[in-house]
Amino acid sequence: MSDKTTTPREITFRVRRFDPNVDAAPHWSEYRLNVYDGMTVLEALHEIKAQQEPTLSWRSSCRMGVCGSCGMFINELPMLACQTQVLHLGTDVVSIAPLPNYDNVKDLVPDLAPLIEKHAAVKPYIIYLDQIEIDEPTGEFLQTPDQREEFSQFTHCIKCGLCLAACPTVATDPLFLGPQALAQAYRYTADNRDCGLKDRIEAIDIFHGPYQCHLAGACSQACPKGVDPAFGIQLLKRALVLDSIGFGKKKSSVAKVSPLADVVKQIEEFAPPPRTVGK
Amino acid sequence: MRETRLWSWHLLVIPIIIVLLGAHFAVMHYAPVFYGVSVEEARNFETMIERGKSVAQLVLYVLLLAAALYHGLYGLRGIIRELPMSPALGKIVDTSIIGLGLFIFAFGTYVTWWTFSFKIGG
Repeated sequence: MSDKTTTPREITFRVRRFDPNVDAAPHWSEYRLNVYDGMTVLEALHEIKAQQEPTLSWRSSCRMGVCGSCGMFINELPMLACQTQVLHLGTDVVSIAPLPNYDNVKDLVPDLAPLIEKHAAVKPYIIYLDQIEIDEPTGEFLQTPDQREEFSQFTHCIKCGLCLAACPTVATDPLFLGPQALAQAYRYTADNRDCGLKDRIEAIDIFHGPYQCHLAGACSQACPKGVDPAFGIQLLKRALVLDSIGFGKKKSSVAKVSPLADVVKQIEEFAPPPRTVGK
Repeated sequence: MRETRLWSWHLLVIPIIIVLLGAHFAVMHYAPVFYGVSVEEARNFETMIERGKSVAQLVLYVLLLAAALYHGLYGLRGIIRELPMSPALGKIVDTSIIGLGLFIFAFGTYVTWWTFSFKIGG
């Protein structure tokens, strides 16, 4: 929330506008706004919409960097509008455009369909040996902290699409699966409950797959959740190479179903030590 | 074929190229040591033909040709296929590059074999 106790500073917002029903090409519009310390770009857009330009369009929801809806190209960098404070940008003129590498639906709204399609193509879910167990579980899968750590950071992906907007390879090769989908492919492949690499190979072990990554690392720099998808792509390459020479994940290493009673017993074994104070 | 295998071979041939190219440079630049002729003489037709009669030379150059062709053409394919194109055109590019590679390999092997089997003076 904006801190209105400090002196406001006038900032000029250059916003790229485009209405496919009216405009032949995108154009820039300028809006001046008094910005307070702490005001985010998203809050500024709300102020502009309320006071100056009611037709301005963008996509947003949670306002706290969780939903990943408000990705925009702010001062030439892909960022979440809700996480970016205007005065932290340090410029008197702030440019806001829709995310690059996506089609533009209207104003600041990108068409995220390619992101979703690529994400879905890599089968981003656990594929287990026994489908009956998945459909009608009889117990739980155990996972040690170390096993979880192998892919933990990649579970933080909020599908905001900033990584694809930052990726120079996506800019030249729209068919490249991109950092988001490839990091998710690794996230599920590395999961000890999963044995679905064979099912994913058709989608990921292709020319437009991990080997097209140019190692620019722009995706990792852009990620608002601190995920390192560029690293995920390298880990996926390793998993694919090991699999191709017969050293991939063995069936014996895939998590086994533990009956609930055993799980409770194991949880008790890992119970915290007895209290020594405040008895 | 899985892209992983193609990419792995692309990397695996690098040390092979380094070793074989090193051998090639040794042959060309250390001719006084290996063949007892000057560097200039090493480039003469007669010297080259004489050198080409060695089985080791034949194997070295055919292997170097195969490794360098694979590495180079895989890289070329990567550059071309990155341009916007339909999957059908992508397949045409792949097939053309395989065809080009096989043609150059066949031609290079023929030249190497011709040198190996050349009879001086008739």
